[in-house]
Amino acid sequence: MEPVEMFLLPFLLVLAESLNPNRGKSCKVPMAAPNISAGIDKEQAFGMAETEMEYRVELFNRLGQTCFNKCVDKRYKEAELNMGENSCIDRCVSKYWQVNSMIGQMLSAGGQPPI
Amino acid sequence: MDKNMLAGLEGLPEEDKNRMSAMIDHLQLRDSLRMYNSLVERCFNDCVDNFTRKTLQKQEETCVARCAEKFLKHSMRVGLRFAELNSQAATQD
Repeated sequence: MEPVEMFLLPFLLVLAESLNPNRGKSCKVPMAAPNISAGIDKEQAFGMAETEMEYRVELFNRLGQTCFNKCVDKRYKEAELNMGENSCIDRCVSKYWQVNSMIGQMLSAGGQPPI
Repeated sequence: MDKNMLAGLEGLPEEDKNRMSAMIDHLQLRDSLRMYNSLVERCFNDCVDNFTRKTLQKQEETCVARCAEKFLKHSMRVGLRFAELNSQAATQD
């Protein structure tokens, strides 16, 4: 599976639940939108799905670029990633993800950006 | 379209499945093209500095080949980690 496909799958499982007409409970949308109830209509759900997917793709791209810039030697002495670069990439992705969560939480808790 | 992809869409009616699937295809295509462009720009910036000749020198060619391969491997690795973190986050919720 291509990287893009791999990360979309868990999200789609949640979305599939939310689009199911037989749901009685409020659905969980994997973004900072905790108040969505079962009443959201299909068009809205598709719109949100598309927005969420685009956001994830963008996140993935930026993450990739940032960690490449930080971890990989630009002299390109060889075609393989060496051990140091591999560890750096793993840690970079992990930290980037944590920063992403932190900021996500701050934004949803605070409501608006500070002036 | 990968079958594993559609496993997540099982619960949906056919037309919804098709719509989601088309959306995903569209996003993937767009992302691939974007990646292509950014990779070219990156490797060009990192490897090519000399404009005394019209054609790429051997050393520049090698550099570009390594750059591209390295970035693609990096991208795969990032994809793996990203997927892990994503599924962790999904199960935690």
